Amino acid sequence: MKNIKRVSPVQLKSSPLKTEQKDNWDIVMEYAGEGDGPYLVDLSHKLRLDLQNGEINAITPFGIAIPDSPGKCVLQDGLLINRMNKTQASIYNLAGQDNVDMPDATGYTDVTESALCVAIIGQQVFAICEKLTSLDFMSPDYVAPFLFQGPFSHVPCQIVTLNKTGDDSGIILTCSRGYGRDMIHAILDAGDEFNLKPAGENRFRNWITRP
Amino acid sequence: MALTITCPICGKRNGYEFRFGGEEKGPRPEEEGLTPEAWCDYVHLNKCVAGVQEEWWCHKDGCGSWFKIHRDTTTNLEKEIKTVIEEAGK
Repeated sequence: MKNIKRVSPVQLKSSPLKTEQKDNWDIVMEYAGEGDGPYLVDLSHKLRLDLQNGEINAITPFGIAIPDSPGKCVLQDGLLINRMNKTQASIYNLAGQDNVDMPDATGYTDVTESALCVAIIGQQVFAICEKLTSLDFMSPDYVAPFLFQGPFSHVPCQIVTLNKTGDDSGIILTCSRGYGRDMIHAILDAGDEFNLKPAGENRFRNWITRP
Repeated sequence: MALTITCPICGKRNGYEFRFGGEEKGPRPEEEGLTPEAWCDYVHLNKCVAGVQEEWWCHKDGCGSWFKIHRDTTTNLEKEIKTVIEEAGK
């Protein structure tokens, strides 16, 4: 019997140096010529859930309280929970713990396969974003982590800013899977002048787990 | 300055992120005794106010929510509900 093959909507042209297989995904841990940052990392294989419930404030997915107002996020134990509106939240398993699975309750939808997910991390992240969207990441009104739902390169996206201080800056961006090729092309093209390079998951893991 | 619209979920954003949903026309007419003419008028006739009117908008590039705002059609600027009430009371 053949195993299913799960294919990321993100195809990067750099040469992989180190790869791993997990849950039928081929994951690149390191690319050749990653440079000194900023980095573009494909996270499309990370478990992502959508939670919708009329009583969402009473729910604590994986023991974590959902933020009380739209746009707010919480990052705890590698799990990111973003409040989208009165009844909806998205959940990303960023640190990739193996024991995290979809809860056995109503209201959850696994959206991992339907959307692309990338991280842009390192210095000059917001200079790159500024070329692709009019969203104001640097507004003092928003304290990281926070969620924007808006256009990025004219595509409706969820963008979570995890850090907006200097070299530690980083965002997570998700949008519909079908935009994958063009979205990556647009980001790499905008980041070219800042030496944005594709990077493997090791870079992201080091960044998200830094003290 | 182009139109900006305040989404109740996402806050103030560029008007290009939104889709216009028409004038606010009040509740849907009762089905009982509704004539085709009355239904047609409800669906198709607009007031086209030259001034402040209440409108439906959808944040299509953002959170996807439908909501109402007040917009001055002569200046193409959104009006805060507080201002609209104050001006109506003058």
